[in-house]
Amino acid sequence: MCSYKTESNNENKIKRRKFLSIVGNSATGLVTFGALAVTIDFLSPNVIKERPPKFKVGPIQNIQPDTFIYEPEYRVFVVRDGNGAFYAISAICTHLGCNVKWIDSNIRNDSSVAIACPCHGSKFNRKGEVIEGPAPKGLQRFRIKLSDDDLIVDTSDIVSEEEMYLKV
Amino acid sequence: MHSKVWDSIFRSKLPINTNLDRSLVIFNSLTLHIHPVKVREKAIKFSYTFYLGMISFFLFIILIVTGVLLMLYYQPAIPNAYENMKDLQYVVSNGMFLRNLHRWAAHLMVISVFLHMIRVFYAGAYKPPREFNWVVGVVLLVLTLLLSYTGYLLPFDQLSYWAVTVGVNLIQYIPVIGEKTKFLFLGGHEIGEYTLVRFYVLHCVILPLVMVLLIAFHFWRIRKDGGLH
Ligand code: HEM
Ligand code: FES
Repeated sequence: MCSYKTESNNENKIKRRKFLSIVGNSATGLVTFGALAVTIDFLSPNVIKERPPKFKVGPIQNIQPDTFIYEPEYRVFVVRDGNGAFYAISAICTHLGCNVKWIDSNIRNDSSVAIACPCHGSKFNRKGEVIEGPAPKGLQRFRIKLSDDDLIVDTSDIVSEEEMYLKV
Repeated sequence: MHSKVWDSIFRSKLPINTNLDRSLVIFNSLTLHIHPVKVREKAIKFSYTFYLGMISFFLFIILIVTGVLLMLYYQPAIPNAYENMKDLQYVVSNGMFLRNLHRWAAHLMVISVFLHMIRVFYAGAYKPPREFNWVVGVVLLVLTLLLSYTGYLLPFDQLSYWAVTVGVNLIQYIPVIGEKTKFLFLGGHEIGEYTLVRFYVLHCVILPLVMVLLIAFHFWRIRKDGGLH
């Protein structure tokens, strides 16, 4: 009752009703936000049964220059160019993720189409660089290492064009 | 006819003679309730709505019935899902018929909802006070498309796999939250067991539930906005 008086006398003071509604709304907001965060967290699996990022190809003596090997499980092309150097590029189209296909393995220069995507017609050269859209960027390049006679491709290690070659 | 049981189910007393009786029939029926007690003749003519909204609703009912039956032979797991679909086609009695019913009703529903929207547009029926029901309608259209999309993965064949790969990669282009949203939809980095279960739950539980609630709201609003325009 006395609070009623002070309220009506002092306009700057927060009224009890307003105070309670701020507390109530903040509490509701906090709980809603918390529930949302917890749910999103719940929806992100902590253990995923996906294959390990590295795989082995080889032995290298069996891979001739100017040929490639397609690794379907990892969707990766392991290529040996005319100079005998190896590199690995992804077969996952950078547009919307279809499998690209090597359409001509006899290509010797970088300006012609070696790889194409069946979904929306993107075209790439033998190094995976875009020749024609809609793909926004080149195919991913993975680090490739030599271990004894085998090649180890690490699909979690994405490298630049300069770093992609393995010279043997 | 006029037993106690009958009267407890159907409130309107027969015979129907007066205008009051006629309006009570509408008033007391859930299904006819979509119209106000009195309607203009123009608004209930076939050539006005082509019954497209009701056709959409009817197709949705067919989808629920056939969908629930399909669930009895379907497991959302790899490789079971694909095998179940083949069994439905070649082993289960009338399974092929059921599967085709579900698929065709889904295609037709997308078409009929779309035509319904066009009808509403050309009749100018989206104008006040019906603007909000237009918004509800847009959400219903999106839900219809999402149901088709999530259902598409369930047979888990090549078509499913690549269509959903492409679709989910579209999400990736959303700024900032794209990567995370894609991860949540897939339950991983690429389509796998978790993805199949997620799409299954969306397709069979979450989306139909939201759809039913929104359709109910859509119908209630038609009535509250004064019946058909
Ligand atoms: C699941 C999908 C939908 C169902 C089951 C549905 C159902 C219905 C039904 C039964 C009617 C009564 C008139 C008629 O049959 O044409 C109706 C009216 C209406 N619908 Fe839908 N609808 C759906 C989607 C949509 C969409 C996509 C829109 C627009 C974006 C929309 C906007 C409206 C509006 C504004 C009315 C009132 C029309 C009038 O007053 O003449 N609805 N709806
Ligand atoms: S996914 Fe390759 S061009 Fe669209």
